[in-house]
Order: sequence, then structure tokens, then C-alpha cells
Amino acid sequence: MDVVAARGLVKSFALQPALRGVNLAVPSGELCGVVGADGAGKTTLLRCVAGLYRPDAGTVAPGRAGRADVGFCPQGFHLYPDLTVDENVDFFGAAYGLDVATRAARRDELLDFAGLVGHRARLAGHLSGGMQQKLTLVCSVLHRPSILLLDEPTTGVDPLSRRQFWRLIEELHVAGTTILLASSYFDEVERCEHVVFLHEGRVLSDGGVDELTERGASLEDAFRASLSGVGT
Amino acid sequence: MPPDGSYGPTSTDPSVTRSSLPSARRRGSMRRLRAITRKEFIQLVRDRRTLALMIGMPLVLLLIFGYGVRLSVDNIGVELVGHDSPAVRAVLSEHQHFRVAPAVAPTLTAARRDLFNGSEAVAVVVDALGRPVRVLIDGSNAFVAQNSLEYLRTLMSSGTSAPVEILYNPTLRSADFMVPAEVGMIMLWVGTVATAIGVVREREQGTLEQLMMTPIGKLELMVGKILPYSVLTLLIAVMITVLGLVLFRVPMRGNPIELFLFAIPYLVAALSIGLLISTVAQNQRQAMQTATFILLPQVLLSGALFPLSAIPWGIRWVSQMLPLTYFTPISRGMFLKGLGFAQLWPEVSVLCAMALVFTVLAALLFKTRLD
Repeated sequence: MDVVAARGLVKSFALQPALRGVNLAVPSGELCGVVGADGAGKTTLLRCVAGLYRPDAGTVAPGRAGRADVGFCPQGFHLYPDLTVDENVDFFGAAYGLDVATRAARRDELLDFAGLVGHRARLAGHLSGGMQQKLTLVCSVLHRPSILLLDEPTTGVDPLSRRQFWRLIEELHVAGTTILLASSYFDEVERCEHVVFLHEGRVLSDGGVDELTERGASLEDAFRASLSGVGT
Repeated sequence: MPPDGSYGPTSTDPSVTRSSLPSARRRGSMRRLRAITRKEFIQLVRDRRTLALMIGMPLVLLLIFGYGVRLSVDNIGVELVGHDSPAVRAVLSEHQHFRVAPAVAPTLTAARRDLFNGSEAVAVVVDALGRPVRVLIDGSNAFVAQNSLEYLRTLMSSGTSAPVEILYNPTLRSADFMVPAEVGMIMLWVGTVATAIGVVREREQGTLEQLMMTPIGKLELMVGKILPYSVLTLLIAVMITVLGLVLFRVPMRGNPIELFLFAIPYLVAALSIGLLISTVAQNQRQAMQTATFILLPQVLLSGALFPLSAIPWGIRWVSQMLPLTYFTPISRGMFLKGLGFAQLWPEVSVLCAMALVFTVLAALLFKTRLD
């Protein structure tokens, strides 16, 4: 069953199209990567899926109605820099409506899972970029969403933190979470079961990594081949 | 791995069961409201600069208005021209409004020169019999000139006019006039600016996007955001009132509890204006600029500084739309005259209506999506 789906999704900003009829289908439990250059429409696509944007045309799921089942990890650090790690986690836990005991239990589990236990009393604004990304991930899965949207989660993160971050993503995937990840890095989306090439608001092609790399030696070659196929 | 063996999706929250959904929803709502309010308080306390501004600025304004600003002009330089006259000198010196120069200007030309130089503001020409026959006033400062004219009229006719009794502020002290108005001005400033900046900062930091992903509803977010600022604004209003009573000996003839009860709809209106500003401002700088654009006319056109009767009819309709226009008579009436609800209900009713309209408008315009 497709838990993330878009049909003919169109979204424009001030008459500038960001998505031009995107079709997407992500079955339950799949790790799907959307790759494209800056301005391809990756963030807009994820925000439409999350219900943060209302599509101009087409349909999208889960969207606004299904946001309770969605965790959204935006690009960059968007938590409270003047709250400690514990306070941020506790606030978002309460924002998701979790009671005190559940909040405390999940906070302990997830901070341990993310390797942030030793930094609980530090202000989030004083953490390194990698730690901030991990904290954002922790806050977005506190309510145990079945769908996780990750918008360029490792941009600006050092290679070691990036590896650690991917370990967390893979654990969540193994646990059954459906993950839709947007990235500009081909080596990152190579880890996904299903890859979507997005360019100027359109899906160039999509499929498994093996399927797509039939057209080129690497995923990047395949992307370039798809680009030449549309005459861009 | 966690004790329950999974980080993955769960179909139910352990704290919510199907049979108790309505009460669970209510509990969840209260939990979210408490969380937002607590977070705002923590952020408010940690943001020392903003907190210092919010508390320091009202204090500075209180001192400026209480000590620095005088609506009455005293110590106006005046000189006699032509002849000296102990009688005129005595009348002029009777009040602190005038400082009479010991020397007499010999001629009208000399007096005009003194006014031109700014060494004196008023010249009283005295004839050989010691009677004032002509007065010259430096009109380049209209405020001083108006006051001089008024004082002179009163002094010169004091022997003939009926006794005058000034009620409620017999000595016409500026502090008695200003401090009650300042309570309203400060509440408006702190409530509006703090709320607008508090919400816009969420947008600037990108945290609003994260909040929109949670089940936090529009009302929970609005109430949770404004509750801490309401408490802060009320505390500052109490501080201004107490300092006004203690430092400036402004009388409080009404019931102070009643005053703060009447201040609640005014405060809600001010906070809602802050929320409205946050719906149009994209960053904190824009929020401050918009707040200034909205607050300045309130201070100038509400009757807090200048009488409403001095505002031309053409723009008086603007005054009628400003919350401060209705709170100022409430505050002054309670401080100086001891008025209560029986006299002030029209103003209180208008403020309640304004609070409702601004809150509904803010709720309608407050977005829970990014586009």
C-alpha cells in the first residue's frame, strides 16, 4: 500500500512553478530518496506531503489530514537554540500530546539512540551541526510517526556525523518507518530502495538504484542521461 | 535499541485509548498549552536583552514623564520695559511660571532685541504710572508662548475674576496627568511588541514550521504565545502604578483591582494587535517597524498626551478606533477621580468589543500553513 502518494501535484509561488505535475508513490516501509539540484522542488514536494503547503492542483497524501502520522525533519536547524536539549525534546513531546511518563521514557530512549545523552543540559544552539541534526531527528520521531520526511538532513554536516546520522535513519527504516528523503547528494540516495530524479519541478525518472543505473555507470550518470532525455 | 524494541511507528499512543478520546483530547490540548506557555516563559527569562528592554523601557519612560516632561512651562524669562513697577513685578513673581529680570529694558527696541536673542521670552511694557500697557511674547516656541499668554491673562485679571477651584488635580501637576496615561501606553507597547516579536521569531527561526507539524492547534498556539506576555505586561503595569504612587505621589482614588480588571480587555486588544502584526511581518525588524507605525498614532491621537478636542474632526475617526483612546479615560478617571464601572462602562464595553474583533481577526489571519 502506498502511504506517500502524489498525483499530478502542482505548486507555484508568485506564478513561478515549483512543482509541475509530480507523480510519486512510496509503499509502506520503503526508504525513498528524491534527488535533484537546488531549486528542483524537493523541499516543496516534502512540504506538500507534510501538509505545510496546499497544492495548487493534484492530490497528495498524507498531507494535512495525516500529519499525526508524519515526522518532518527540515533542512537546517529549526529547534529552539535557547532551550537545552532536554527542554527541546520535552517541549516537542508535549506538543505531540505525550504524557509526562511517555515523554520521559521516549526522551531517554531517543537521546541514547542518537548519542546525545551526555549533552542533555547543553543549549541546543551550542551543539555542533551534526548534533543539532540528530536532535532535530529525535524531536521529529518522538510521536513514533509511521512516515518520516527528511529534507537534506546531512547538508553541512561533517562526514563522521553524516555516517552516524545514516545509522539512525537505517535503524528507523529497519523498524518499519516509511522514509522519504530529499538530498542533493547522489551517494546518499544510493542507500535508498527507491530513487526519484527531480528536475525543475518534474520527475525525470524513478525506480530502484539497479534499475536506474542501467542507463549509466553511476546514479549521477543516470541522472545526466535522464536530463539529456528531456532535452535540458 | 529502546526497551520496547522499536523506534518505528506505533498505531496508538499509550496515553490515549479509544474509549477516552474526548477527555484525552482535552488533556492533550491542556498539555500542549502548558508546554507552549512554559517554553515562552523560559525563553523570556533567558532572553536577557529583550527582558531588560521590556522592563527598563517603561521605567525610563516613567522617569522621563514623571520628572522630565512638564506640560506646564515654568521659569519663563520676562522683563519689564520702560519703567520698573513693584506691583507688576509682584504679580508676575507670585507664581513660579515667570522669572522676572532685575534690570528694566530701557526701550521697546532693546526689549525686541532681548526677545530676538532669546535671553527673554516675554517683555511687559510699563507706563510711567506703573501699569502694564503692552506685552511682547516670543512666538517662535508656540508651546512657551501659549503658556505665557494663558498665565498672563490669569495673572492680569486675577483681581477681578471669580475665584477658581481646580478639581481632581488642583496644582495641575504633570505627573498626575501623565502617570495614569503612561500605564496604558506601556501596556500597549509591551503587549503589542512582545507578542509580535515572539511569534515572528518562531517564523524567522523556522520553528513555526516544526510547530505546524505537531497537533498544536491555532488557538492553542495563539493562547500559549500570548499568556506569558499578558502576565509580563500586567506585572509591568502594576510596577508602573506602584512607582507612580510612591515616587510621584499620584493619587489612586479608585479601586486598583477594578482598574486591572478593566485593563484585561485592553490588554487582549493590545496582544491581538501584536498577533495581527505577526501575520504580516516576516522578520523581527519588520515587526518592530510595523509596531511603531501602529503605536505612534495611538500615543499621539488617543488623548493620552494631547486632548482629543485638539484633534481635527477629519482624523478624529482614527482616534475612535484606537484602544488607548478608551483606556486613557478609564485610567485617569480611576486614578484621579475615583470613577468606577458605573461611570466607565461605555469605555469598558468598547474595549471588550475591540478585544473580540481584534482576536477574531488575528485568529482568521494567523496561518497554520507556510503558504
